[in-house]
Amino acid sequence: MGKNVLLVDDSSTMRKIIGRSLRQAGIDFDNIYEAADGIEALEVLEKEDVDLVLSDINMPNMDGISFLREKSTRDAIKDIPVLMISTETGDDIIGEAKSLGAVGALKKPFTPDKVNEVLTPLL
Amino acid sequence: MEIQDKMISAAREIFSSMVMMDISVTEILTEYGPLKDTITGMIGLTGTHKGVVAVHVPYSVAMAITSSFLMMDVDEINEDVHDAVGEVANMIGGSVKNILSEKGYDIDLSLPSTISGSQYTFQSDKDFEKVIVNFDTGNGHFLVEMDLEN
Repeated sequence: MGKNVLLVDDSSTMRKIIGRSLRQAGIDFDNIYEAADGIEALEVLEKEDVDLVLSDINMPNMDGISFLREKSTRDAIKDIPVLMISTETGDDIIGEAKSLGAVGALKKPFTPDKVNEVLTPLL
Repeated sequence: MEIQDKMISAAREIFSSMVMMDISVTEILTEYGPLKDTITGMIGLTGTHKGVVAVHVPYSVAMAITSSFLMMDVDEINEDVHDAVGEVANMIGGSVKNILSEKGYDIDLSLPSTISGSQYTFQSDKDFEKVIVNFDTGNGHFLVEMDLEN
């Protein structure tokens, strides 16, 4: 059975770029779901079968950290892995994300090779 | 000078890896006149030092950047163009935050926003230290600006 991914970023441009980078990296998903913030992401996770979440941190309505915190309280979805994709790479913010269950971080800007390197071990 | 050099390096990396466009520095400015037929993407800096990071992109260049970013033809200033310019500002802002963090600054970023118009001026506090870099994309020029509280 194929895998499904959820892309969470308030920028529709960035969601398209991430989707393109996944294809260029040779990583195929059966379904690529999209959400513009943490609230939408939680709604998708409750409805769809998602294997991996790629999430921005700095977003309106519910940012990536709040999304992780809320997700960790919901038994049905708390174990779905989340990789942060962000311009922010400071130890404090990434450390907080990891403490809330994020499995790692991919820094923007990124190349398809970097996407492959970071994502392949997670699949 | 160190911040300026690192900001230039970050902008070039963002354009080469994400926008699929090689850019080069044409000049370092201390000021510029009214912006005409331009989109500005900006992101606020708060924390120990206040400021703003902005990219000022003429419409024709903004459409070329968006076309390259999305790998599709873009021939009008639409939501995609604003989103792409905002995302460029967001990535440069994030890089500036990382650069400043290395120097001991504790900076938070606002969400990116964009403005556009046939003619407008962009001004921050006159006491802010300014770094303004003019880049050439091969399809026209654009400015990257960082204004930071001393």
